[in-house]
Amino acid sequence: MADGVISVEKIKAFWHSQVHDPDKWDLNKKLLRAVGLFAGSIVLMRQYEQPTKRKAHKGGAPPMASPSRSVFPFIFMLFLVGCSARSLYPLPSRRHNGNRQPLQTFRPYNIAHRGSNGEIPEETTAAYKKAIEEGTDFIETDILASKDGVLISFHDVILDDTTDIDEHPEFIDRKRTYEVQGLNRTGYFTVDFTLKELKSLRVKQRYPFRDQQYNGKFSIITFEEFISIALDANRVVGIYPEMKNPVFINQRVKWSGGKKFEDKFVETLKKYGYRGSYMSEQWLKRPAFIQSFAPTSLIHVSNQTDLPKILLIDDTTTPTQDTNQSYWEITSDKYLDFIKEYIVGIGPWKDTLVTASNNYLRKPTDLVARAHAHNLQVHPYTFRNENQFIHFNFSQDPYREFDYWLNEIGVDGLFTDFTGSLHQFQEWTSPLSTGERDANRLLDKIVFMISKFKLKKLV
Amino acid sequence: MASQSIVPFIFLLLVAWCSARPLYPLPSRRNDRNKRPLQTFRPFNIAHRGSNGEIPEESAAAYMKAIEEGADFIETDILATKDGSLICFHDVNLDDTTDIVHHKEFANRKRTYEVQAVNITGYFTVDFTLEELKSLRLKQRYPFRDQQYNGMFSIITFEEFISIALDAPRVVGIYPEIKNPVFINQRVKWSGGKKYEDKFVETLKKYGYKGSYMSKEWLKQPAFIQSFAPTSLIYISNLTNLPKLFLIDDVNIPTQDTNQSYWEITSDNYLDFIKEYVVGIGPWKDNMVPVSGNYIETPSDFVARAHVQNLQVHPYTFRNENEFLHFNFSEDPYNEYDYWINKVGVDGLFTDFTGSLHQFQEWTSPFLSREEDAHKLLDKIALLISKFKHA
Repeated sequence: MADGVISVEKIKAFWHSQVHDPDKWDLNKKLLRAVGLFAGSIVLMRQYEQPTKRKAHKGGAPPMASPSRSVFPFIFMLFLVGCSARSLYPLPSRRHNGNRQPLQTFRPYNIAHRGSNGEIPEETTAAYKKAIEEGTDFIETDILASKDGVLISFHDVILDDTTDIDEHPEFIDRKRTYEVQGLNRTGYFTVDFTLKELKSLRVKQRYPFRDQQYNGKFSIITFEEFISIALDANRVVGIYPEMKNPVFINQRVKWSGGKKFEDKFVETLKKYGYRGSYMSEQWLKRPAFIQSFAPTSLIHVSNQTDLPKILLIDDTTTPTQDTNQSYWEITSDKYLDFIKEYIVGIGPWKDTLVTASNNYLRKPTDLVARAHAHNLQVHPYTFRNENQFIHFNFSQDPYREFDYWLNEIGVDGLFTDFTGSLHQFQEWTSPLSTGERDANRLLDKIVFMISKFKLKKLV
Repeated sequence: MASQSIVPFIFLLLVAWCSARPLYPLPSRRNDRNKRPLQTFRPFNIAHRGSNGEIPEESAAAYMKAIEEGADFIETDILATKDGSLICFHDVNLDDTTDIVHHKEFANRKRTYEVQAVNITGYFTVDFTLEELKSLRLKQRYPFRDQQYNGMFSIITFEEFISIALDAPRVVGIYPEIKNPVFINQRVKWSGGKKYEDKFVETLKKYGYKGSYMSKEWLKQPAFIQSFAPTSLIYISNLTNLPKLFLIDDVNIPTQDTNQSYWEITSDNYLDFIKEYVVGIGPWKDNMVPVSGNYIETPSDFVARAHVQNLQVHPYTFRNENEFLHFNFSEDPYNEYDYWINKVGVDGLFTDFTGSLHQFQEWTSPFLSREEDAHKLLDKIALLISKFKHA
């Protein structure tokens, strides 16, 4: 009996991999079409054979009924094959998909925190596309849910700070007060709006000191739309979605079949072919990190996917929302030893890694060292260019801050609002070598060096 | 008879002995002849009032930090005290950058004067002797910058400023400004009928600053003299051939001495006239590239016209804080440097953040003079070759 069950699973998995994996499906549809044509042509040939045979035997008029009866299923099958099979040639914009520039893995990851939102409002298509343009390795998002169970890219549980919800009188009666992570919050919650209603809102820039000119232009996007932005890029760009406020979401939103927020989350990833453990071949084709502040959610999804997971760590005064553990407990060696079975790294708030006093950084804590000792990566958040976020040691210079964290502390990835600046810093100090351009520059440098000696001789 | 001629001889010996200095150079100065020269292949990094992102402006510490961070020139504003000493200080009044309000002994020195047609009330440097000014302590001008050095440093004199530059381990130029000369000459009188501008040049000459732009003498001790007042610059042209820079204020502020408007002094006609006396112009950067909605627009033709007249352009002032950065630059000061150096093509930049500008220039147009560069090159060549070997 057990064997039988396993093989059903295997069949399901096989079906999944053959139908839902775009690369395999490409091949399969071609095969299907070929088979369909082959079978169809055989049937057609047999149709035309039969009447002549009968003619030879009986010498009478051939009955029309029998050919037409067997033609119908043939035509139907052709229809079926014709409609389900896609074009044999790749779409012009996808022709080079096999040769996309791969993910860089030789220097710390540039993670576009909510997209590149220095000017453009966070978590919008435009912000993510800008981040990709600016050279990010991963685009990051926070996943919440709408009333009707659709997963959306949005950071706050409430809509007040980053949308124009106040300007929608039709929703004025939706204001509520809920308890979120032990605090009462009042506002318009995403879980009280259907996707259609959320789509009628417009996003705005969170910080007043950032550019306001794009307010009202963009709308909230879904998890699937976010994924398609990454897949559509002309080089390999990873995704870094967060299971945000899972405790709260699961309280407010119910899915059919007893599924939870985390299940739908992983389902969406699998639907688009995201799978594979860290640095595996499949993972490198579609890189992804799953992040969350809630350890039980990460442990729950460990059974469903082997994509790498990151445990986010909040401030020292905030306990975990699901297990109510303190910062000190979840950063202890014992806990890291336990959680490392499920995660590949941690994402702490940068001011807890190196404490600050009078706006000057002091000595680093040992958390990075201990995490690295447990073979866990460290991806601190969040780096911003504005001087109010930069400690005085760095002379209001974001590049000095990058330099400190990447070269002195030695972290493995950085969440930043300013993708372009981090990319520029990395390109200047640890560039991808580009072959020919570097070779020409080297030749110029050699000539320059030699010319100095020649001049000296003349003197 | 013998004793009579010995006494003057002994006296002479004493005099010679006291005035002569040691025959050997001081240990810290042994390499003076081999100081790394001023770089002249890329735009000048001018430390505006020193590196004052953290340290209060125009203090010894700010200037030393700027030199450490790689400045080409340290910039200062020269004003005068009641007893005619030249000091490094930017404002005519002491209120914003010193602890004058905490000094009860000076409470009765508050005055109201007209400076460039505006009435200003406060404690003016011209009402204090040097000794009194030295009893004050500097503080950081901007509240959002580090306040921890407030009360630690005092005002320095022009001569002390010069000695900081001369004492550096490499050649560092100076960039002093003849500041508010009209006001100073009204309030302070020097003996011998000398004016403020005369004392200014005297001090420079005393320390050996001379020579036209890019001459051998100039390269040993580089200096630019800057001022908003064209007559002062013309006046000192007779006293020194050090290069001079004409500063240009905002569009609505006329020159303090000739009362000419911004439009007049930026016209081709005027540039044609002033280029006999100055090697360059120092405008406010937002007048060269206009701003709208905190986005910069198309540059005006000013830089192009200045360059045509063979005049350098050194705009002021570049700061890292996002409130000073226009949105085009994504709150990234390096993007701003990139724009001004590579797109607009200026010849020097006044910045409060010497280190950032230096880092930008080092990353994008570095020196190629060091041995480590040679070794890095060899490594790169080996790497390139090895790729082919494997292929």
